[in-house]
Amino acid sequence: MTATVAATTRRRWRAPKYALALPSIIWYTVFFAAPIAFIVFYSFGTKDTSKLLPVDLTNLSTASYKEVFDETFFTTFRATLRISITATLLCLVIGLPVAYFAAFKVSEKWKAIVLAAVVVPSFTSFLIRTVAWRIPLAPNGTLSKFLKDLSLIGENGIQILETSLAVQIAIVYNYLGFMILPLFVALDRIDSRMREASKDLGAGRVATFFGVTLPLAGPGIIAGVLLTFIPMCGDYVTATVLGGAKGNMIGAMIASQFSGAQNWPLGSAMAVLMIAAVLLTLVVGTVIVWVIPRIVGLGEPLVQRWRRAMRARQVQRGPRAGFVVGDSVLHRLLGVWTSLVLVFLFIPIGLVFLHSFNRGGSFTIWSNAVSIKWWGELFDGAQVLNTAIRFAVFIGAGFLAKWMLSRRQMLGSRTSSWLITSVVVLAFVINGLVTSWYAKIFDYAGIGDAIRNSFMAAFGATVIAVLIGGMSGVALARRPGRWATVFMGLVFLILVTPEIMDAIALATWFPRIQDLPIVGHIFTNGWGPFNGGINKLWVGQSMYASAVVTLIVRARLAGLDESLEQAAADLGAPPGRAFRQITLPLIASAMIAGGLLSFALCLDNAVISTLISEAGSTTFPVALLGATRSTIKPFWGVGAVSLFVVTMTSLWFLVVILRRSGDSASNIAATLTGS
Amino acid sequence: MAKQLRMLAPDDFREKLSRRAFLKGGTAAAGFAIVLAACGSSDDEAVTIETTGSDMADDGYSRVVNTASGTLAMYTWGDYNDPDLVGALADSTLGVSMKVDYYASNEDLITKLAASNGNSGFDIVVPTGPYVPQMIEKGLIQKLDLSLIPNFSNLDPAYTSQAWDPNNEYSVCKNWGSTGYFYDKTKITRTMETWQDFIDACMNEGSGNCAMIDTAPNFCGMWFWANGINWNTQDEADLDACEKFLVEEFAQHIKAFDSYPSTKLAEGAYSLAMGWNGDLRQAYVRIADAGGNPEDWVWVLGSPATELWMDTYCIAAGSPNAEAAHAWINWDLVPEISIKDLEYHGYNTGMKDMESLIANLAPDLERGEMIFFTPEQVATFQTQEITPALDRMVDILNKAKAKAGA
Repeated sequence: MTATVAATTRRRWRAPKYALALPSIIWYTVFFAAPIAFIVFYSFGTKDTSKLLPVDLTNLSTASYKEVFDETFFTTFRATLRISITATLLCLVIGLPVAYFAAFKVSEKWKAIVLAAVVVPSFTSFLIRTVAWRIPLAPNGTLSKFLKDLSLIGENGIQILETSLAVQIAIVYNYLGFMILPLFVALDRIDSRMREASKDLGAGRVATFFGVTLPLAGPGIIAGVLLTFIPMCGDYVTATVLGGAKGNMIGAMIASQFSGAQNWPLGSAMAVLMIAAVLLTLVVGTVIVWVIPRIVGLGEPLVQRWRRAMRARQVQRGPRAGFVVGDSVLHRLLGVWTSLVLVFLFIPIGLVFLHSFNRGGSFTIWSNAVSIKWWGELFDGAQVLNTAIRFAVFIGAGFLAKWMLSRRQMLGSRTSSWLITSVVVLAFVINGLVTSWYAKIFDYAGIGDAIRNSFMAAFGATVIAVLIGGMSGVALARRPGRWATVFMGLVFLILVTPEIMDAIALATWFPRIQDLPIVGHIFTNGWGPFNGGINKLWVGQSMYASAVVTLIVRARLAGLDESLEQAAADLGAPPGRAFRQITLPLIASAMIAGGLLSFALCLDNAVISTLISEAGSTTFPVALLGATRSTIKPFWGVGAVSLFVVTMTSLWFLVVILRRSGDSASNIAATLTGS
Repeated sequence: MAKQLRMLAPDDFREKLSRRAFLKGGTAAAGFAIVLAACGSSDDEAVTIETTGSDMADDGYSRVVNTASGTLAMYTWGDYNDPDLVGALADSTLGVSMKVDYYASNEDLITKLAASNGNSGFDIVVPTGPYVPQMIEKGLIQKLDLSLIPNFSNLDPAYTSQAWDPNNEYSVCKNWGSTGYFYDKTKITRTMETWQDFIDACMNEGSGNCAMIDTAPNFCGMWFWANGINWNTQDEADLDACEKFLVEEFAQHIKAFDSYPSTKLAEGAYSLAMGWNGDLRQAYVRIADAGGNPEDWVWVLGSPATELWMDTYCIAAGSPNAEAAHAWINWDLVPEISIKDLEYHGYNTGMKDMESLIANLAPDLERGEMIFFTPEQVATFQTQEITPALDRMVDILNKAKAKAGA
């Protein structure tokens, strides 16, 4: 039996090992490798503003590189690395106790609450949270006045805005969550028996932490550092909004070469050197991490001797009461620290919410009067009310139907548990049809359209990311080979390339390919209901997201035995059927988690979107970034709060569905962080 | 609630218009007509709305309103139209729903349009006049059909037929303004009158607390004006001297490059800032909003020379809704609409016989001296010319930004 099956498989044509990864390979070649190669090419060109694409490639030189190494530009490079490294270390130092507390010191229920509290702020628009830092830091703001009244600061108020300190604070704030989550997952997975064994063998709390816990959490620390350090290096929003002239960062400077200054060669050279600097820093970081324990290890005999001596002395004198920190004190300290960090994470959110009720004409300046004026400006009250009533009626009818049917026992428990969910979906669709997909509930079209475009772009990009990322993840886990090394290298490169680099590469790439027959047509004229701009956003946003999905799916499958698929094959299932019935269910939760993560990332994408968006595809972050150039009206706060509510509702809805399908909440959280 | 607000704006506005018109003319019940011509449709049916209690039909202004449909995408400078006009009023009067995106400099605008090569999706763009020829040359804007903009005749001839577009084939004046600065007299106690004073203050008591306009011609222009050099100079020695001073000596004192300092002035971020007259006029409102004392702040028009810039409405090449774009430009030239816009952004919209329009339509306009300049002031204004030196100025700004962060 087995022999005949083997014979038939041998006779059939076998697809190459990388077949499933082929869509990704094409996608990455066309929209990542080629555009980036052109950036490298531009960096050797010369500026020529008389051309439509202002770069002359006939006359290659390294002049732009020389210019970057010139003192003026190089200082910005140094400042960027300084800010990013400091912020990464601060995130680690601030985040580690929080992750430790959540992983070891609290009950399961509180674990979920702490985690949720860390995640929730990142579902408010990144940009509005950054802008919100202008409120407490303003020299004429409430906090300044309060501190002045206490004579804690001088007459000029808090002088932090428009300096690199403001950028430093906000950047730590913006990326802290990305550090805490992977740390938590890594710590949470540590087998508690390891730590117990360490303590049983006589190690103190500190020794256990440094000797057992921290090394076991290594992968989490690495993931956290990568997730924070790389985006920080390319960060362009924080410095633009808060940095002024002094807190300038390289991301903003590169972007300005491609917009205002029209100096593509200089911008390209800066971008190339930035990637080089990021990679170099990572290498140096790795070396340091590798070397330090070994150097410390050299001194180990000395330390041991010293310890023994200390212990001998301690035994002579008896225990020193003052130095022993009780378990409960440590617990309480960690708890206080965690609460402080959570308060820090929620300060800007609270301010955004408060200032959406501001009566004055500017979002950042509180007028001392609460009013719903700007909510009225943004929303058409009657339509909102109608929509809400329709939702309420539908859900009410759903509950009524459930109650009646369950009384007559006409309904299986499985069907009844899905009833309400289906009713909500139905209400959503019907309301959508009535209000031309919720466009009518907005009085001020600009923000309504922007929110809709954000969802459309993020949704499409997520679908692409899940499809191609999922497929290549499967291929990597199940058909490894030499191609996998190369492909993983590409994925790693996508992950470590700061977003601004992708942004400029794609922004300069689309004009080049717009005359190609089919591809060009899609990006200029769009297809179906989607215009060219939305298609460009799908490409731009899917890049990082699909790399993330690839890793998540690969990690998930790598942890699972291949025997199930082999059994299916042995039992005669053709590869397609084995994939559908065995592999797909196995990776479903990883794909959903990857999808959720990429949706959140795409929804908030400002950098790529700003450089490639067009009139019909302006997303919320793009529109808001445009508005930050002059005065931000309070209705942007209203828009951000609405977006937050919509995102949280859909997330909650998805989590409910996931739980119905049997995945536990902690599993969802774990896969969400990409491990 | 929201419904009411939406309706309130136009009603209130219409009421204000007719009341003022009535007060002005005195003669009752003449009625002025707004002609709604369904432009572009095969039968040129025209709808006439009679508004009683007004005699403004004979005042020499054209008030044609062409309706259109669909969406209209405008790419413009920050906060550059009354939100009522681009929001509810455009919807109810023109029948178009407007989308507005913002850019920070003419170079930004040109890059964005060039990158999509006629497929940016924008209908209306608002470049500064001198940039119009290169946008024509690069094929970024298309010819206007002036027959669809009958209210063009409402413009003062002084603001039509400019050097960059002698026959207004591509551009129509949106508004014009000038450049000056703004300072807190409790922090900068000396009297300031000239650009040289501004530069001195930035390098001394205002060091680390001053903001500059974030466009290359204005940033370099400030130094040229202060030193009595025409800012359109192409002389290498002048440009070298400008670079040497701005990059080596001046940049380190700058707190931010910010073309719209009004909000941040109110936050207290700067004690002096260079800016355009309209934005600095709004700063007074925001400072009062933030609980500050507007009287502490002084506006100074740059001297001995400063600029005259004119931003123009153009239609982007490949505009998806050129019909609506014409309708919008035409509508913004209706005197009542134009003055409503002017009251919001604080720039002169270039209507003919402006004085009597203001007297009739906006008698309580505050700080008019920041909008309307005396002939003596206008005599010191210089209009930008696009020369090869612009590239150099962009480089200077670029280097100054890097230096300021050091």
